[in-house]
Parts: sequence; C-alpha cells; structure tokens
Amino acid sequence: MRISEQTTLNKKRRPLVLLFILTGLLLLLSAVSLGVGAVYISPLDIIADLAGTGASSHAFILHEYRLPRLYIAMIAGAGLAIAGAVLQGILRNPLASPDVIGVTKGAGLAAVIVIVLFPESPVFWLPVSAFLGASAAAAALMLFAHKNGVKPATLALIGIALGAIFQAGIEYFMIKFPDDVNSTLLWLAGSLWGRGWEQVWMLLPSVPFAIALWLLSAKLDILNLGDDLATGLGQKTKQLRYVLLSLSVIIIGMCVAAIGSIGFIGLIAPHVARKLTGSRHKFLLPVSALIGALFLLGADSLGRGLFPPIEIPAGIVTAVIGAPYFLYLLRREGKKA
Amino acid sequence: MLKWMKTGSVKGTGLLLAIAVLLALAGCSSTQKAADSENTQGAGQTEGGNTKTITHEMGETEIEGTPKKIVALELSFVDSLNTLGIDAAGIADDEKKEMIAKLVGKETDYTSVGTREQPNLEVISSLQPDLIIADAERHKNVYEDLQKIAPTIVLKSRESTYQENLDAFSTIAQAVGKEEEAKTRLAEHEKTIEETKAKLKADPNATILPAVVRDTSFQAHTSSSYDGELLEHLGFKNAIQQEEPYAEMNLEQLVEIDPDILLLANNDGKLITDEWKNNPLWKNLKAVKNGQVYDVDRDLWTRFRGVASAEAIGADMLKMLGENK
Repeated sequence: MRISEQTTLNKKRRPLVLLFILTGLLLLLSAVSLGVGAVYISPLDIIADLAGTGASSHAFILHEYRLPRLYIAMIAGAGLAIAGAVLQGILRNPLASPDVIGVTKGAGLAAVIVIVLFPESPVFWLPVSAFLGASAAAAALMLFAHKNGVKPATLALIGIALGAIFQAGIEYFMIKFPDDVNSTLLWLAGSLWGRGWEQVWMLLPSVPFAIALWLLSAKLDILNLGDDLATGLGQKTKQLRYVLLSLSVIIIGMCVAAIGSIGFIGLIAPHVARKLTGSRHKFLLPVSALIGALFLLGADSLGRGLFPPIEIPAGIVTAVIGAPYFLYLLRREGKKA
Repeated sequence: MLKWMKTGSVKGTGLLLAIAVLLALAGCSSTQKAADSENTQGAGQTEGGNTKTITHEMGETEIEGTPKKIVALELSFVDSLNTLGIDAAGIADDEKKEMIAKLVGKETDYTSVGTREQPNLEVISSLQPDLIIADAERHKNVYEDLQKIAPTIVLKSRESTYQENLDAFSTIAQAVGKEEEAKTRLAEHEKTIEETKAKLKADPNATILPAVVRDTSFQAHTSSSYDGELLEHLGFKNAIQQEEPYAEMNLEQLVEIDPDILLLANNDGKLITDEWKNNPLWKNLKAVKNGQVYDVDRDLWTRFRGVASAEAIGADMLKMLGENK
C-alpha cells in the first residue's frame, strides 16, 4: 500500500520537477549561447544590455544576431520535437520522425529546385517553396494512405517511399548542377546562419499549432491504445490522425522553411522525453519541446563557438550527435523485438 | 481525477506564461533594435559629405565619403582592391591565409571573416566597416543583414564571366573613389592581354580545354566560363563552344572532343584522371600524345578571378607553352 502510494506521488510530482529543471537548463544555456561566438560577450555586458542599463559595444551583435538566433533555436527546436513526438504517437512507431514520413524531404526537394533552377528568384521564395513542398508531401501521404484507413504501418511505409522519391529528385539536381552543391547541401543540412528577426516572425505562428497539439494530448493517449480500443472509446481514428498529422506538418513546414531541413531533433528529443517522463502526451509534449529547444540551441552554440570565425551548421552538429544515438536506438529496438 | 486536472492546468498556465515572456522579450528587443540601427546610421555619416550612389546587382547603395575599412566576401574583390592599392580590412578567406598571400602577392594584415559560403556576420559587424562587397550568388540571402552593418554592394564574382569581372572592378573603383586609376589600369590590362596574345601566337585551328578535376568528376570549362573566355581573349579557341559555362564529362566524351591542349586544375587528393591515365583512350588523346597536358593552379585559374589574376593566368600560359615566334 505504501509503495503504491509513493509511486503515484512520484508520478505526479516528477513531470513538474522535470519541467522546472529543463526550463532552468534552457535559461542557463540561453545565457551561455548569447555570449558564445566569434565575438565573446561577457555575461555582465549581456545583462547590462538586456536590462537597458547601458549599451555595450556588442549591442548590435546581441540584438541583430544572437537574440533572434536564440529565439529561432528555441521555437524551431521545440516545434520539431513536438511534431516528432506526435508523429511517433500517430504512427505508434518510436522511429518515426519528420524525416521518415517524407515531409522534410519534400520541403528539401522544393528548396533545391528553387536554389538550382531559379537562382535569380527573390529571397523569400526559398522559405515559401520549402513550406509548400512539405505541405505537398503531406498531402500526397494522406492521399495514398486514405484507402487503407490511414493505418500507422501504411502511413510509415508510404512516407518512406515518398521520402525515397524526393531524395532521388534532390540527388538528381545535385548531380546535374554540381556547382550549386555547396549551397544546396548547406540548406539541406539546416543552419541558423544569416537567420534573423524575419525568421522569428516566420516561426511564431507555429506556436498556436503546438498548443493545439498539446490540448489534444488526451486523444493522442487514446490513439496509442490501438485503433480498436480507441474506436471503442468513441474516437474517429482516421479523422483524428488527419487532424494531428496536419497540425504537425504545419509546424514542421514552418520550421524547415525558416532554418532548412535540420534532422534528428524530431526523432531524438521525443525519445529522451519518453524516457524521462513516460508516454502520457500531456507531459511528453512539453518535455519534448524543452529538450528539442535545448538540443537545437546547444547545437547552434557549439557550431558557432567551436572554430570561430567559421560556423558549423547546426544541422551538422545535430547529425553528429544524433546519428550515433539513432544507431543505439535501432539496436535497442532490435533487442526488444 | 480532480487533482490530476489541477496539475495539468498549473502546467498549462506555466507554458502560456513562458510564451508570454518570450513574446515580451522579443518585442522589447525589437524596439532596442530600431534604436540601434539609428545609432549606426548616425555613426556612418563621415565628414566628407559627398555622397555617391552605386548601382549594383541588388539595387542601389549610397556611399558617403571614401570608404577606408572594406570587407571583401569573394576573392576577386580582394584582387580588385589590391590592384587599386587598397588592403581589405576583412576577407572571407575560408581560413586560408596562404591563399590570400598568394592572391595579393604579400602577407597582409586582415581579419578573416570566415568562409565565403557563410561569412561570419558577427565578425563583419565587429570590424565596423565602411563598405562591404558581396557576391551576387552566395550572399543574396544576407544582403539585408549586411546592409544593416555597412553600405553593401553586390557584384558578380562566383558566376561571373571575364567581362563581368572587369565591370565589377570598375564598380568597385567607383565605390572607393578611384575611377581614374581604374581606367588607366584597365587600359594597361588590355594592353598586357594583347601583348601576351601576340607572344603566345596560338594556332587558330587548335583547340584548348581547361577543366577542374576532382576525385569523382571531370568538369570542362567552356567558352562561356571565366577562364574559357579569358583564353579566347588570349587567342585560344575553346574546344566546347556553348552558353553553359561548365560541362561535366566522362572520358569518352573527352575523346570525342579531343582538344589539342588540356589544362587541368587539379583538386587535392585522389583524382578521376589517375584512373583515366591507364586507359588506352586517354593515351590516344591528341594532347596526351603531343605532350600538351598542363597542370595549372586551381586557386589562380578558377577561384581568384580579377584584373591582376587574369594577367597572372596569361603569364602562366606563356611559361607553360613558351613564346611562339
């Protein structure tokens, strides 16, 4: 009796403590991130500047580059992580992620086409095309999955197939236009270089969609029980999946449009979160969001601070950290099966 | 159940609060930002007062006075500035100091601003330059950001032809107030190229093909490429006459074109031609049989691009092929 009481108590308290700790970590990392880069800014200067008690000589760098990048890393990291967590929920597959269902690859193909075929196009074409590419990929996914009642396995398989087709397209353009390979690869890797307030405003509209997903967390929990049980509990599983998928794709599309098709965040953050807090989406989503934000912010700060003045794109850092973790995951899943 | 909902709503408010704080911070700093840009504008006004408007690839930029601190984001701009007797304060040098030393012919004191692909905006802004020269292809996405730091002109370098490159040189001269010097220098340049052409006295029936060789590709530079066009000016007919500046090719295509002279700008490390050299097809190439295959410096031939570099390429040709009397 005592033991069971204790566990219920733990279960209730732990997520809140966890959220508190993660928020603290995020604030700490934000402070570090604002100081790190080719130009070092001391914590005192940062505080003085943000409090408005005297602008340091680094005010321009702080306000034009570091602050917007901080916000972008937080919002995009959180957005990709939430979308990843929801996708893993919908597909009931722990290896699902924005990359796996072909959405980021769709965005990538659209962006590559703009970079390679329309080099003279206005600057805003790139994010717009990336968003449209992601949406088109999602539309194709839902269209093909519709017949089979949008079952998780069908979604995953069709997503992988679509992703392969888009990847083939991307590679075609890269081989055909080898001179643009550098800029294409940079975009595909995903980077926060050269991103500013414009991208912050571009990302802010994704916040309400993320909140909407969080409000649907109870339904996600039910969906996780399996289609039969969920239907028994009065859920229209097909429609529910469409709604959840659309919301996630909108978030992914915005993130990818702003910073390029950055990988691994949507895969790894929800995983770590699930380990820390279990699979109740009410807590899983916010914990994922915080971990995603920490991950991207850490990756960007690292890329910026490692070899100044050269910046390593954040997407490459996330891949370097993410790929080994992914392999570890595969091994573990393999053992389970 | 009740307790459960309570914790949920507490957390919900927490989340909303966090977002509110985030938004407030963003709003606060964007007003700060406006104040900052006013400050920098004020600082930008120099005593000279003579303003000129430079027309470039992305519009018009007003430059006040004569820029002293200049940041060059492509190598040809460094060449142009150097030709005009100006040392750039900041260079996107891909962290290769020795490449810049080779380009300007001496060790110069400058700050590296990172790679040409992704120049470090923070470092550029910390230099507080008077003028930034950026590339039309690589840097169009950060044009607005650069413009906030200092007056920025965007010119063709990476995707430029020989003629466009000379035009860019004139525009840079205009921006730094050295139009007269530039005119004299360009006339001199034309003369040098003509003289080199006369000395080389290329066979009008012979064809030439410059190419960049990498481990997996052989990229021919056609008559529309920078080096191809320059070679045409030096009297050499390119083996591939077409609008597209570059053409990827395999050994069979090369055999079909069979140029009289092959100029290979080799990458470091393993090369696709290492394998080709054992192939009878390669040994049968006219250029190979007649000993007319030359290795050229990749930096000078395909990366630098500028008035002085073009002349250096001419000198290179003379050294390799010898004077033809």
